[in-house]
Amino acid sequence: MIQLFAFYMFATIVILAAVMVILARNPVHSVLWLILAFFNAAGLMVLVGAEFVAVLLVIVYVGAVAVLFLFVVMMLDIDVASMRAGFVRNAPLGFAVALVLLAEMVLGFGAYRAGGLALGTPAAPSQALPGLSNIQNVGALLYTRYVFLFEMAGLILLVAMIGAIVLTHRDRRGSAARQDIARQIGRKPVDATVMTRPKVGEGVEL
Amino acid sequence: MVDLSQYLPILIFLVIALGLSTLFVFLPMATARLTGVYNPTAEKLSEYECGFPAFEDARSQFDVKFYLVAISFIIFDLEAAFLFPWAVSLGVTGWVGWTGMMIFLGILAIGLAYEWKIGALDWD
Repeated sequence: MIQLFAFYMFATIVILAAVMVILARNPVHSVLWLILAFFNAAGLMVLVGAEFVAVLLVIVYVGAVAVLFLFVVMMLDIDVASMRAGFVRNAPLGFAVALVLLAEMVLGFGAYRAGGLALGTPAAPSQALPGLSNIQNVGALLYTRYVFLFEMAGLILLVAMIGAIVLTHRDRRGSAARQDIARQIGRKPVDATVMTRPKVGEGVEL
Repeated sequence: MVDLSQYLPILIFLVIALGLSTLFVFLPMATARLTGVYNPTAEKLSEYECGFPAFEDARSQFDVKFYLVAISFIIFDLEAAFLFPWAVSLGVTGWVGWTGMMIFLGILAIGLAYEWKIGALDWD
């Protein structure tokens, strides 16, 4: 009973938030609605028993991805009026993309209903180990059977990091404003000061 | 199967928080509307005495360096997220799991070393 109530609460809020992501005029508000949708999707994941996925949704998607979205939205400095100006011109393209997505969904559901896919059924080889928690089951599969895919994920993360550095990093090592801490600490009074005894009326030659 | 009854207190907290926040927003509005007099003028609604109209949009473009910080945060956040199931399932996965994670950490350590060496972690 309470699970049914929780499911309908989370599902309603996630759908409403997803609709608001599209309808919100301000892109920053869209990202905030997206965060609400992520939180409620995490609640749905808890209800189906995928606790680790729920925690990942909150930590990774809300904690990191949404922040990145906010950064990108802020950085783009979108002019809302100029974006709305192209609505009529871009509408056919948008409808075409929506149509392709709809066709794919219909085909996918048709294939699934026809029994063409064995994913997620008990016949698939990823049975849960008895006596272990959800997160232990995830680890037991991820680091043995799917360890190669796991290392691939590491390589993709490495590519993402290097790509971000290449795209955004400007080398400022030549400029004068840069602070070299080793040089600062290594500086001695002997190098910095000079004692002179000038004669009266002559100045100091530096 | 997960014992969902452990999550009941969290659900109760959520419902209470939702109710309280709704109350905090709408109760003052309703009270003000029902008890006070509401006849606004242009002068009442303007910024007066302590402030002035905003000159420009509060959102302005800022340095792209923040983007690099955010990307690095996502990558190492994911790395930490991968560590949780690894740590609790080491008894099942054994040396295979341990070696796999060490290779994964090594790959990301290469990225961190490159980032450090090229000076992307310095802020100036």
